[in-house]
Amino acid sequence: MMADADRSAAAWNAVAVVALVVAHFLLRPFWVGLPVGPDLLVGALLVGTLRLRAGHAALFGFALGLLESAMALEGLGGYALALTLLGYLGARSRDLLFADARFYVFSYLFVGTWIGHAALQLLGTTSPGIPVLVLGSAATAAITSLVCGAAEAGAVALAVRGS
Amino acid sequence: MRYLTVGRRESQRRDLFLAAGLCLAALFLSSLGLQAQLAITLGLRSTVLAPFLAAHRMFERSADLAERVELLGAERDSLAVRELQNADLAEENRQLRVIAGLPERVLEGFAVGEVVAGAPESGGSHSFLFRVGPDVDLRLPAGVSTPRGLVGVLRSARGRTGLGEFWTHPDFRVAVRAAEIPATGIVRPIVTGPGETLMLLEGVPDQTEVPDGSLLLTSGIGGVHPSGIPVGTVLEERESRSGWSRSYLVQPAVGPGQVRVGLVWLPASPESTVPVPTPGPAPEGE
Repeated sequence: MMADADRSAAAWNAVAVVALVVAHFLLRPFWVGLPVGPDLLVGALLVGTLRLRAGHAALFGFALGLLESAMALEGLGGYALALTLLGYLGARSRDLLFADARFYVFSYLFVGTWIGHAALQLLGTTSPGIPVLVLGSAATAAITSLVCGAAEAGAVALAVRGS
Repeated sequence: MRYLTVGRRESQRRDLFLAAGLCLAALFLSSLGLQAQLAITLGLRSTVLAPFLAAHRMFERSADLAERVELLGAERDSLAVRELQNADLAEENRQLRVIAGLPERVLEGFAVGEVVAGAPESGGSHSFLFRVGPDVDLRLPAGVSTPRGLVGVLRSARGRTGLGEFWTHPDFRVAVRAAEIPATGIVRPIVTGPGETLMLLEGVPDQTEVPDGSLLLTSGIGGVHPSGIPVGTVLEERESRSGWSRSYLVQPAVGPGQVRVGLVWLPASPESTVPVPTPGPAPEGE
């Protein structure tokens, strides 16, 4: 019974991740010019790592990094490296921390996005100043954790209803 | 819902090896040359990312269609006027060259292409793809401009598509001269306080003062950009001087975000240029 519920949750999680990745690449022209916006790419990776093995999470991060650099026309290899490490460490931190704790997902998404977004900015052609890097990434992380946390919560709710 | 899925020790080790292998692959990718990186980028953009890029183009076209029609109309009108003026000028030039005994002028050309800016998640784009029509032989590096001014430079090409850098790229440099006064220097991008990217004219000799509002044109030195392309307008002199040279803040002629169509410079091939005679020893008896 529990295995069925987990499988269903994993399937809905995959749907949420695909939706976030598609939204990221489709809607990016609308918030490219904004100072702060959701980083759905890093958010999708972190939501995916909630239910992936560390190796698979690293592979997922690598693939997303390649796509991101092809879209941005910069950072080929660099973005893939950052997101591979983020995927692997995200999955390992889920294993090592109290992943069933309340608010774990939101705090995991917030901290993960903060680190991931700041790393991607540092690897870009022009690195922003430290205040922009720290505060801008924190604001991006707050928005992203809300959006992606809601997507994950929705996936869990659909899985619970289905089982 | 459970997230705790600590695997067996062997699978953890396998995961670690996989992640390490992927990190090495990523490092290898970042060490590749521009040509190989362009091939990978184009491969991804023409397959997995193709639907997203098509959607972006559709959004863009529907968003600024009216504005572009107006802009194209204005450009067409000004070109028609210039064409009328140039017809006389060309004939005059030809006659003067005949009188002066100079060879016929070798016309260098431009090829029109589509500029597709990169879309980094934050900040402005520093790179672009440039697609030219068939039968265009790109010689790299090649300057890209619009009738309004300088856009950037193409660094690598694969087939009909080139990968270029906007003038906002930190590595971009161009040799310039002032249109009205004999002043030369090098222009590079500079990020100012509010996060706006302007240009910085450097290397102007201390004894030469460039007035505010002066138009800067490419000097043609280096052979990447043709001479006479507008680069920007001098805003003010920068307070901090380096050695015996002055530097000036420059308002760029073209913002990278405004460009959809550009012109790549196709310099005349060496065979078609007429060699300049070098002065030899003076004939005897003079």
